[in-house]
Amino acid sequence: MSQDEQFGGVRKGLLEFALLTIISVERVYVADILSRLAQTPFVTQEGTLYPLLSKLRRDDLVDYEWVESEAGPPRKYYSLTDKGQARLADLAAYWRLLTSTLETLGR
Amino acid sequence: MERVVTINLNGNSYQLEEPAYDALRAYIGRAEATLADNPDKGEIVRDLEQAIADKCARFLSPAKSVVTADEMTTVLTEMGPVEGEGDAKTQRAESPGVEGARKRLFRIRDGAMIAGICSGLSAYLDIDVNIIRILAVVLGFVTGGWLFLVYLIAMFIIPSAHTSEEWAQAHGVPFNAQEVIDRAKREYARVSEDISRDWRGSWRAQRRAWRDQSRSWRAGPFFADVQGPGRSGEFGAQPQAPARPVGYATRIFAGLAAFILSVAGAALLIGFLVALFALLNTGAVLNWTPPADVPLWLAIVILCIAYGAISTPLRYLRRASYAAASGYSYHGRPSGDFIAFLAMIAGAVLGYQFIPEFRVWVEALPETLRAIGQSLRAL
Repeated sequence: MSQDEQFGGVRKGLLEFALLTIISVERVYVADILSRLAQTPFVTQEGTLYPLLSKLRRDDLVDYEWVESEAGPPRKYYSLTDKGQARLADLAAYWRLLTSTLETLGR
Repeated sequence: MERVVTINLNGNSYQLEEPAYDALRAYIGRAEATLADNPDKGEIVRDLEQAIADKCARFLSPAKSVVTADEMTTVLTEMGPVEGEGDAKTQRAESPGVEGARKRLFRIRDGAMIAGICSGLSAYLDIDVNIIRILAVVLGFVTGGWLFLVYLIAMFIIPSAHTSEEWAQAHGVPFNAQEVIDRAKREYARVSEDISRDWRGSWRAQRRAWRDQSRSWRAGPFFADVQGPGRSGEFGAQPQAPARPVGYATRIFAGLAAFILSVAGAALLIGFLVALFALLNTGAVLNWTPPADVPLWLAIVILCIAYGAISTPLRYLRRASYAAASGYSYHGRPSGDFIAFLAMIAGAVLGYQFIPEFRVWVEALPETLRAIGQSLRAL
């Protein structure tokens, strides 16, 4: 069993964290997010991403605006809301707590 | 040649081959089902459609205006399955799905050459069926024909996939109603185009008729009130019990039993015929000579009754095994055949007693049969 299969649950929980992190850097649209994640363990697909983004938007963590593109229809560009920024900070802090706890346990 | 369907994805028209359209519709249908409780369902589905449209555009050019089925498959694979909210409810709902997708070896009769064992193996091992077939034939010759015997036995033992769930299990894919419908449509289109396979359809219809017959035979009025647990007042008015699917292990076992019982039944029939001819030719079976005061015809009748007495329960068991192996539980009732057989004997005896012409004919019968036997041997 590969790590991919074994730790699916762990990744699933952290995908939201990864997503908020990516969106916090700059305004992105879905294809950007996918290509950013493509080379990481968090590699994911539209089928997962759209529902997750819509949940984040409903929770008021991200927002989007329509931006015209040179080719094709306008795209949704996502950015973090203030609440999303706060959530990301909380998550990052919590993540540091988790990893330090795990290191302490290992000693 | 494929029919082309024009669709509207977020305001732009796209031309799809019909199977591509079916696949897309199935995907969107699944997405809608998964997102049924999601307040943003409409928006997410529109986003998904847009993403699919973008991906399809990659395959299109001024020289190529239609998205093929293969291209649509690629696009939908890239899209990945639509997931609901990643909460506990979804996860719990997923685990039985994974359980249900456990692979099992079934015979798959669609596209089968003989009994569908190679198709089943191919689905189970995920190897192209033609490779399996070639391997089977080569191995068959290498093992000096033993593999063919194994195939024959496997034909009886491995259950064939009748229901859509079983089909899904055979391929190890999760069972999903929309997929099944689409697959059935594709299969239907494929089969109906192929006229040379018409016979297979009629063969299947025939098999279905036989199965229904055997089912109604089981639930038939003949013995409905002998053992039937819920006896109803009117004779034979008992409603037919719905067929209950039985487990895979039971079906394996029933398949094995059906095989052994079939072989035993065939051996018994051959034994009976040998004994009958021995009786006609030499007046003796094995080392047993009927006493002098037992006429030949009576010896034959005794032989027939003995055969009937042994073979009838055997046949009853065999039918039960076949019924179970084909996926339905069997609520046993004794067969009407044996009664019919006894009635025939009784009729013959009464005819012998009371109708002189019949008596003369019966008494001449052994001579006639012996003459036939001798002329056969002379050939």
